[in-house]
Amino acid sequence: MPPAIHPIDLVDILRRHRLTPAIIFLTSRRGCDEAIDTFIHSTAGVSATRSKDIRVFLEQFAKDFPSIENHPLIPVVQDYGVAAHHAGHLPSWKMAIEELMRQGLLDAVFATTTLAAGVDFPARTVVISQSSVRKSQDFSDLTVSEIQQLAGRGGRRGKDFVGFVVVTPSPYIDLHVLGKGLTGQPESIDSQFVVSYPMVLNLLKAHTLDQIEGLLAKSFAQFQLNQRAAIHQERLNELHEQLKPYGPRECADWVAQWKVFDLARRRKAHRRPVVNTDSPYLTACLPFLTPGRLIGLAKGPAIILRQYRSRGTGTPMLSVLHTKGTIGECQAQRVMHIYDHVYEFHPIRTLPWCPPSTLHHFKQVLSQLPSRLPTVPIFEASQEADDPLLTEILTDQFACPTCPSHAACKKDFTSASRLQLKAQQVSKTIQALLDGLWHQFQRKADVLHKFGYLTANLQLTDEGEWGRLIRINHSLLITELIRMDAFSGMAPELLAGVMASIAHDDDRPSNYMRLTPGLASMLTQVRQVADSLSLYEPAPLLRSDVAAIAERWIGQTELSWTSLVRSTSMAEGDVYRLLARTLEFLSQIYGLKGTHPSLADTAHQAMVNMRREVLAELP
Amino acid sequence: MNDDDLQRELVSLPIKYLHQLAKGRIHRHFRLGKRRLIDCILALPSAQKMAIANDLQQISSVPKKSTTGSNRAQPHSPFYPQPSSPKKSHTSESTSPPIVLQDLLEGIGVPEPTAFIPDNWQREAVEAIAQSDVIVSAPTGSGKTFVATEAIKQAMASKQTVIYTSPLKALSNTKYMEFSEYFGKDTVGILTGDRRDNAQAPLLIMTTEILRNILYDATSGDLDLRLHTLGLVILDESQYLADPERGVVWEETLILCPTETRLLLLSASIGNPQELAEWLTSIRPNTSCHLIRHTKRSVPLRSLYLHPTGQLVPLLENRDIQQRKGYRFHPETKRLFNEYEFKPYH
Ligand SMILES: Nc1ncnc2c1ncn2[C@@H]1O[C@H](COP(=O)(O)OP(=O)(O)O)[C@@H](O)[C@H]1O
Repeated sequence: MPPAIHPIDLVDILRRHRLTPAIIFLTSRRGCDEAIDTFIHSTAGVSATRSKDIRVFLEQFAKDFPSIENHPLIPVVQDYGVAAHHAGHLPSWKMAIEELMRQGLLDAVFATTTLAAGVDFPARTVVISQSSVRKSQDFSDLTVSEIQQLAGRGGRRGKDFVGFVVVTPSPYIDLHVLGKGLTGQPESIDSQFVVSYPMVLNLLKAHTLDQIEGLLAKSFAQFQLNQRAAIHQERLNELHEQLKPYGPRECADWVAQWKVFDLARRRKAHRRPVVNTDSPYLTACLPFLTPGRLIGLAKGPAIILRQYRSRGTGTPMLSVLHTKGTIGECQAQRVMHIYDHVYEFHPIRTLPWCPPSTLHHFKQVLSQLPSRLPTVPIFEASQEADDPLLTEILTDQFACPTCPSHAACKKDFTSASRLQLKAQQVSKTIQALLDGLWHQFQRKADVLHKFGYLTANLQLTDEGEWGRLIRINHSLLITELIRMDAFSGMAPELLAGVMASIAHDDDRPSNYMRLTPGLASMLTQVRQVADSLSLYEPAPLLRSDVAAIAERWIGQTELSWTSLVRSTSMAEGDVYRLLARTLEFLSQIYGLKGTHPSLADTAHQAMVNMRREVLAELP
Repeated sequence: MNDDDLQRELVSLPIKYLHQLAKGRIHRHFRLGKRRLIDCILALPSAQKMAIANDLQQISSVPKKSTTGSNRAQPHSPFYPQPSSPKKSHTSESTSPPIVLQDLLEGIGVPEPTAFIPDNWQREAVEAIAQSDVIVSAPTGSGKTFVATEAIKQAMASKQTVIYTSPLKALSNTKYMEFSEYFGKDTVGILTGDRRDNAQAPLLIMTTEILRNILYDATSGDLDLRLHTLGLVILDESQYLADPERGVVWEETLILCPTETRLLLLSASIGNPQELAEWLTSIRPNTSCHLIRHTKRSVPLRSLYLHPTGQLVPLLENRDIQQRKGYRFHPETKRLFNEYEFKPYH
């Protein structure tokens, strides 16, 4: 939503109070473009001298970057000293605006918040009119770090005594998010380490398994996992301490013994065998699905309040507190994520299963969860052989009834078994945290072996030797396509088209463009392969419109940039980014010249055709 | 006084003085609003502008308080006869901000150029990088580039190669130009997926992905570049380590980087730079990682609330934004914002 104040008034007020130059952050590219449009024919112009300075600068700049020469926004920038800056523009145009700003020739730049993420672009004043941004499909509040990145652009060292953040409202703004963001401590950063196929191949190329285990252990991911494991370890030590009074009695493992005895007694009473029909995965999960655990359901995160088995079917069930604050029941197998958070509380035996204060606390916890939550990896235990003690049940021969510890066991059983269960869970968690990355590596390596990039003892095969050179997203799809000769004898423009559709991961819609029959059938084939691999690698979007753009640009070398851009509804900057990314992908294929000379040649030809006009301006 | 300075001075004046200055110089000046008036003055021939600049000097020698503080009392200077009372323009109203704002807007302007004296944290960082790996965590615009350039000079002086990475091609290009200007064109090269401009230069700029690939190729014996002379790797915008998609590349790079190579990580303000430093210390033998954490902004930052009607009031109760001390909205902001929330569309 655009700010409630009119852009011309906004700039006028900033100018009057000498708060220019300013960067005005808006939510959308369109908002920025529309703001600029309102200046046309207004009286908010700059002095003739400034206009001239801007013109002279842009003319000079266009000598190095001809792509901006006839840019449609030049008149507005010159006459009004304002500009828009967002990802829909060409890099050269953005660079021109940045430089104009640095030289103090502009009064205001309307920018999207992506600008803050890495352009060196300061001003005296920063205007913020929103407290949330679009992230994938949703709006979420700006983080403290993000707000400080935005605000940090205000006040230029050496050019300002003071800098300013001006907050002006737009619908849905939450001032408190901004207040906290401006004054708070930026968030900690967390590792986002994941093991990828190229990583596995490249590590195996140069290192032994032991060395690789050592290298993975060096990751920031493992460093942080170790810290979490250390916290759990402390908890485990505490539990062991608490378990001390429950050491060996007449029989060493009296807790287990009593449990079986107890079970047998009850069975006798009910005369109905309890059959365990849980899947191995569910069995592995159950120890974690205990009261206080944070879990992810289809509806979102929730906290478990109790675990029980349904009377009729014996299915494991959970009572949970949802984010909305409601309490509900759900089957344990519906749990999608098990997070590494357990909140201690005193369970009670009737609804709402916990004291009111806990309930209140949990609701608060749920409303303030961070967007990324660490999960607990679950390992299916190999199906345990039937408990040997079960046979004993049948014979009904227990020492317990006459055992001297009978009374003590009866009294202690509940607390001791609860503690034991907790201790088991905690040590499982610790193990999972310590081994998680290594397991990830092994799983990826298994897949690579299955596809023939690795031998059974994890040596690179010939395929693996060249496959490791493809170090981009969707590497498995690309190497598989190469192996099935999908590209053989293909024209450069077709190869470029396919690469573009694999490379482009933006789902911003654009209009349909005519596909050549060759490209269309090629894309169908690629989609089939991608779908068949989707178990091992998420399939790319494979948009046919972007494929068509790349095909045209590579295939028709006399086509000018302007006509290419005119033929699509995609913004110029997006077309540029698409082609630049395609170039990256092509250059990886070109890297296979040792093993696939003719394919590399095709890729090279495509790259040469690509590098013209605006695509030749920057390295 | 150049045009921009002149303009700045003019903008800061209440409009009646502008009419005073325009008298006899600009036709029908009393018909013009402030902006147009300033534009017309700036469009005058330079001799006339000089004269105006002169007159301005005299105005600025009049104590400013009297023009703004005491409800615009007329200064008793021969230079300021009673204004000819032009039509009250709304601009003249709002050029004199209300008292609360006065303090907030005080001191706006451009400092005199001064000799460059490195801050203590900058000097400390430059000294530290001679002995150990360094992480610099400092707010945007505080001067991390200075640390980088000094470190580069040190490394080049001992004939070492330096690699400078940034997360985005756009930033690489900007840095390439900046460093080419600073160190000389022949000294700087840039590497992308398909192009190598001046790849023999002692200072190479690339994205972090390209460096990661070089390191993979080097560990697998495929050669590349002069890794044995690689003395320093600078990772700009290191907070990208937490990027959901690409963060892993920073970790791969740091894990694979030769231990003899010094690391300089530049990062925006983050919550846990200490943790990063401890991590690097734990994985790189023979060296510990020195953390330089600078949290104070070099230029003070103040906050304002701009109401859709055009009213400008302080956003927070404190004049300068103060980190980690909590916040309280200014009562005026609270009042206006409630009004806005009640009836957002004017
Ligand atoms: N010690 C200093 N004294 C004065 N100005 C400085 C000093 N250090 C840096 N600057 C200036 O501050 C500005 C911002 O520095 P820069 O290195 O781009 O910030 P960062 O990289 O931290 O965002 C530059 O114009 C630089 O010349």
